[in-house]
Amino acid sequence: MSPVTLRTSRDLPPTSRSLDTMEWNHTGSWRFLRPRYQDKVAPCAEACPAGEDIARVQMLLAQGAFDRAWLRIREENPFPGVCGRVCSHPCEAACNRGEFDAPVSINSLERFVADHARRQGLAPPPAEPADSGRHVAVVGAGPAGLTAAHFLRRAGHDVTVFDAREEPGGLLRYAIPAYRMPAEPLAWETGLVMSGGVRFQPGRRLGEDLGWDELSRFDAVLVAVGHWAPAPLGVDGEDLAVDGLALLEDVRRGRPPEVGGRVAVIGGGNTAVDVARTLLRLGAEPVVYYRRRLRDMPALPGEVAELREEGIEIQTLLAPARIAARDDGGLDLALTPMAVLDEDGGQRPRVVPSGHPEIAVAVSAVVTAIGARPSPGTPAAGLDPDGSEAVALHLRRIRPRGEWAERPPVFLAGDLVNQNRTVVAAIASGKEAAVVIDAALRDRALGDAWSAIRVGRKGAVSLNRLAGGDRAFRLDHVVRYDDLNTIYFQYLERKKRPRITLDERRTGFDEVHLRISASLALSEAERCFHCGQCDHCDNCYLFCPEVSVRRDPRAETRQIDYDYCKGCGVCVVECPRSAMVLEEEPR
Amino acid sequence: MRRVVEGSHAVSHAVDLARVRVISAYPITPQTHIVERLAELVADGVLDARFIRVESEHSAMAAVIGAASAGVRSFTASSSHGLALMHEMLHWAAGARLPIVMAEVNRAMGPGWNIWADQTDSLSQRDTGWLQFYCEDVQDVIDTILIAYRVAERVSLPVMVVLDAFFLSHTYEPADLPEHADVDEFLPPWEPVEVLDPAEPRAFNQLASPEFYMEFRHKMQQAMDEALAAYPEIDRAFAARFGRTHPLVEHIPAEDGARAPLALVTTGTITSTARAALAELRDRGTPVDLVKLRALRPFPQDEIRRVLGPYGRVAVIDRNLSFGYGGIFAQEIRAALSSLADRPVVYPFVAGLGGRDVTPDTVRAVVDRALDDEPPGDILWAGLKE
Amino acid sequence: MPIDLPPSERMTSGHLACPGCGAAIAMRFVLKGLGDRVVMVIPACCWSIIAGPFPYTALKVPVLHTAFETGGAVASGIRAALDVKGDHETQVVTWAGDGGTFDIGLQSLSGAAERGEDILYVCYDNEAYMNTGVQGSGATPEGAWTTTTPTGSPKATRKKDIMQIMAAHAIPYAATASIAYPEDLVRKVQKAASIRGTKFLHIFATCPTGWKVPSEVSVGLARLAVQTRIFPLYEVEDGERYTINVEPKGYLVDAYFKAQGRFKHLTAEDLERIQERVDHGWSRLEALARIA
Repeated sequence: MSPVTLRTSRDLPPTSRSLDTMEWNHTGSWRFLRPRYQDKVAPCAEACPAGEDIARVQMLLAQGAFDRAWLRIREENPFPGVCGRVCSHPCEAACNRGEFDAPVSINSLERFVADHARRQGLAPPPAEPADSGRHVAVVGAGPAGLTAAHFLRRAGHDVTVFDAREEPGGLLRYAIPAYRMPAEPLAWETGLVMSGGVRFQPGRRLGEDLGWDELSRFDAVLVAVGHWAPAPLGVDGEDLAVDGLALLEDVRRGRPPEVGGRVAVIGGGNTAVDVARTLLRLGAEPVVYYRRRLRDMPALPGEVAELREEGIEIQTLLAPARIAARDDGGLDLALTPMAVLDEDGGQRPRVVPSGHPEIAVAVSAVVTAIGARPSPGTPAAGLDPDGSEAVALHLRRIRPRGEWAERPPVFLAGDLVNQNRTVVAAIASGKEAAVVIDAALRDRALGDAWSAIRVGRKGAVSLNRLAGGDRAFRLDHVVRYDDLNTIYFQYLERKKRPRITLDERRTGFDEVHLRISASLALSEAERCFHCGQCDHCDNCYLFCPEVSVRRDPRAETRQIDYDYCKGCGVCVVECPRSAMVLEEEPR
Repeated sequence: MRRVVEGSHAVSHAVDLARVRVISAYPITPQTHIVERLAELVADGVLDARFIRVESEHSAMAAVIGAASAGVRSFTASSSHGLALMHEMLHWAAGARLPIVMAEVNRAMGPGWNIWADQTDSLSQRDTGWLQFYCEDVQDVIDTILIAYRVAERVSLPVMVVLDAFFLSHTYEPADLPEHADVDEFLPPWEPVEVLDPAEPRAFNQLASPEFYMEFRHKMQQAMDEALAAYPEIDRAFAARFGRTHPLVEHIPAEDGARAPLALVTTGTITSTARAALAELRDRGTPVDLVKLRALRPFPQDEIRRVLGPYGRVAVIDRNLSFGYGGIFAQEIRAALSSLADRPVVYPFVAGLGGRDVTPDTVRAVVDRALDDEPPGDILWAGLKE
Repeated sequence: MPIDLPPSERMTSGHLACPGCGAAIAMRFVLKGLGDRVVMVIPACCWSIIAGPFPYTALKVPVLHTAFETGGAVASGIRAALDVKGDHETQVVTWAGDGGTFDIGLQSLSGAAERGEDILYVCYDNEAYMNTGVQGSGATPEGAWTTTTPTGSPKATRKKDIMQIMAAHAIPYAATASIAYPEDLVRKVQKAASIRGTKFLHIFATCPTGWKVPSEVSVGLARLAVQTRIFPLYEVEDGERYTINVEPKGYLVDAYFKAQGRFKHLTAEDLERIQERVDHGWSRLEALARIA
């Protein structure tokens, strides 16, 4: 388009009137600031230990692209069906929507996506790279081990998973009660891991059915056997108590113990809650005794709330002092009243005996759930700060000294190394293991690349970023509430998760939470701000005073026509979700 | 059809005959009879047009600019202060090349308030790009309105048809009112070249930079030249149909085939007075030739030179005044004659300002002074109190 | 929910507005609402320049550029011409700035409104004579700096209430609109276009250059004007039925004033006084809306 040429007076019309548009005038030359589309990091994604691209998943969900949403999650986490049920969902605490009205119900949406995929029988695309010819042993088929196995296999390695038990899943299969983590969705997801070519050897307990001679034939070994050994209570009559994890495993193996009457559950973590709720369902009358206060309980608040809804009593500031057998076959549990000593640093407070007299309760059984210790067979060197070194946030490697010098590199992951022993932290650990072991097997130093593959440089490892996917091109800036233009958002109530009735909950092991409907999922996903993710809302296009944002109506793209853009920056400010930046114009 | 018609109503009926479609006006004495009659004609359905009753003369001109820009034959009328208020839009109408016709009733400018005849109002608009035709009588008014549209639409410039306050605007005379069918033949519907049209969206009148502005002004000048060149042909066409002719410069010798020692140049209604006064003078043995000047713009310079050049003396009566110089028509005539090596002496009289009667006595006094040995001067007052 | 506007685009790139010009944004939205049967009248204002010089135009609608004070009258003439040609569908739209509306063009606007001309008169209000270099107008708010109300003596009187003036003409439709609320704006354009008679639209259009604000806040500042109740969005039908269209959050005016260089000399007392005025104006508007 060139300006009209009028050489002679005869070329001119009688009076001033237009012969062409102004489009010849390339006003882009006025620009000293340059707006640019730039996706950033959503706080949910930064907070997700599994590094899921949550805001993008919500966008796909809101568009009804459920299949793509599932695949998007699986890029980072092979267990959305697990996490959609048992994840501690730190994403929701980080959700910017929390400051606006209430966080997006990310956890239930993840469950929705996973259930959708299972119902539809979706299959992930086949692993892409050629076989590396390297062999990796993964010991422990819990979330950490399976996650590592999954991503190592996808990286082209030959992976064998050993586990002491018959089925994969670890505590997901053998500890967490079925009303939270039913067998079928777990089996489907572990099945997908196996169908990707991971070998599974059941009944191989480290140190008993599996030795280091065999493991040393692999090119690398990952030990992720978890914490199954009960922690000692340290009181008289301790041997009269039942180990909570063992009880849960018995129930999940279909061998529920005969219980009845009042049962004391000692502890305040998720295991204690799981045990108490399981006992209730078995017909007992559980009471939880916890040495600190309700608010100090490490169990997930949602789980504690459901426990109380189900009518289970929690008695706090009581520590077990003694257990003694009674003549009637029951037990006497003596409890020491405790008092909070100090409360600094936001940590759980220290408690000491209050000096009040002991309390005695008559119970039919005492179940302990005060934490667990590394499973037997775990190499001591791996747990020893001198014998091993941290090679990632959630990963240690045994130093190649002594007997370990002769062996392939050995890594420890999952609960063995995690401070925060949640399922999602185990998955994070498994991902780090896969990344580190893959690099080691390929003699590739991660070095500086390490921060570049983390979400927003500080969050979890992202396999998408590692592979140079779209997340690698995001600005590492994490979008905060003040970065948003919230005028474009409306208050919308957070959708409640539907549940079975209280009666059903008290009497059986049916899953408490129901799958949400597709319409509920759509409307909940629409609540997502999509922080830092362009969702083609077109504000940039509509508010552009220069008509210089070009839309391709078919493709989901927007482009700034820098021939005309004057760099006013209105698009950047009016972007509701901070998916643009305004930079100095390069000269 | 011959009827006795008031000068103002003559305008109204001519506008009806011209099948004007949009009229916009604001009342000012002595223009009111024109627009009142037009409002009636529209209200009665005689004239199929819209009458926009605006809140000022400025808006009246703005409204007809809008209407003409949309391609519709448009008309307004004003006078004196009203015309002065329109001034800005007079430039706009001409610059936009719109063939608007306006009746302008010559009235004096205040202060003090004066509603009577005086040409200074219209002559002050000399440089707005409008053609200006001055009328002598009621028939002249009717015919000039029709001719004005034809000229305006031919050259795409607006035309002011000027008539004296009261002496013409409020005077009843017998006149021929042409038939619609004849007028339709003489003045077919306007076919504008370009109009505001959503089907062909263009911008009009936008900023014209120094790179182009001068060419647009040159084209306006060319249009004025074309008007001058085309006028005789249009006048002949009018004469052929209606039997009357209205040359821009009308030469009326006292005696056929002879040139009197003095030519008297007049405009407007003074011409009629002069006709009577000069007839009497001729009969008394003092032949003075009369030259009726009809146009201020385009100024018929060649014709002025051809008609007046051979005279020894020319007297001009101006019912107007350019302060600090003199009568305005006289200036124009003197300027036109200045290119002649051998040119008449011009006696520039100013008379009849603010409606003061210019009587046959005034004309005789002017003739006497011009024929006597009064030094010509730059301004000669006639009828001024001593 | 994404903003939903008609897809049509009758403004082109390459125009001459300053970066972030609210008047350019307003023009885009209004054209979206109008459709293709439009004739536009632009009296002297920023848009006389923005639209581009001969032989160009940035608008794909017929435009008649005209003198400063003639917006109401020229539109009336075009309307009359279209009517006599039998075209009653084409909208005649005057697009005037605040100077051409509040001040020099008020008479011709009033005349057109009184006659009930079937036109849509749009005033894009950037609160001063911006085209000529930021001189104070009848639309300049109290306390504002302009080149003719310099900091030593900022504008002492209040902004003329053009909406009350237009409501007093009892025209069928008058409404305020803002570049920050495009759906509301376009709805009002469409509503106005569906009504016969004189319609008046008063659009708040930020001028980053004249208000001394960064260009990127152009729309945000317009939004703040609504949310602080400084420029409420409402409609007046037949001069008496008031409807408030956007319920403002009622932020304190400080946020709006402190964001702008043209107000930087204002003291806390000034802002307090202005806040009272704004509160009073809002109460009055609410009362009018209640009566309706």
